Amino acid sequence: MLGHGVRRRAGGGVRVRLAPRERAALRALPEQLRPLLRGEEGPDRVRQRLFPRAYDDPEADREFRELVGASIADERLAAIDAFEETLERGEEGRLGWTVDLDADQAAAWLSAINDSRLVLGAVLGIETERQWGDGPDPDEPASVLLYYLGWLQEELLAALSRDLEA
Amino acid sequence: MTRELLAAAPGIAPERTDRPTSDEVTDRDRPWNVLVWNDPVTLMSYVVYVLRKLFGHDEVTATKLMLQVHHEGKAVVASGPREKAELDVARLHAHGLQATLQRD
Repeated sequence: MLGHGVRRRAGGGVRVRLAPRERAALRALPEQLRPLLRGEEGPDRVRQRLFPRAYDDPEADREFRELVGASIADERLAAIDAFEETLERGEEGRLGWTVDLDADQAAAWLSAINDSRLVLGAVLGIETERQWGDGPDPDEPASVLLYYLGWLQEELLAALSRDLEA
Repeated sequence: MTRELLAAAPGIAPERTDRPTSDEVTDRDRPWNVLVWNDPVTLMSYVVYVLRKLFGHDEVTATKLMLQVHHEGKAVVASGPREKAELDVARLHAHGLQATLQRD
């Protein structure tokens, strides 16, 4: 597909071009992520990875969580909202689905995609880097999605890192 | 948002004086280290991006820190007073990195 992936735009922001079924896969993420980020559901290992400890000392860690835990979750939930909103924009045409993101929207995509990958990694039980050696398991949708989101995140990062030079 | 919350409650961290008074001065001077821990799922390029974005490091410095995390399991990415270190950890957590703070 011509221009498939993420390109940096002159004047800031990025242009994302994906196949319609890639867009559909991304659209399914927000409603799965929200309850996890709200701490409403999900296995312990997902919760622990999304909200890691800040202190070894449990008492200090509890105080830290009381102080900033909600705002950390809110920041990530706001990114999910922005991610979802931009997925409803753009245009589908002969070359696929195309949407332009400003710098804040692109940062929201990075956040939503990264949190999705953390959840998938925890669900799949990825605990060492050696487990990447096998590549995606074609029979496991979560594994395929984890690899796909890794590719998309690399695309975004390559386009956005140039802006950090300035 | 995290920054604002901590700024609105500047007394929280310093009030936790749970150390003996004889060591108070030296203890207070001892900085808190912010550590980032290795994670097998997070992309290396994302760690570099977050370190550059949050701490203003150039690419070479951020890459060195990321590689230290990758090879040694952790790296100190910042140090300073407790409230500043807590803010850094909160921002790193908001970006999905595993970060803790501790004193040597």
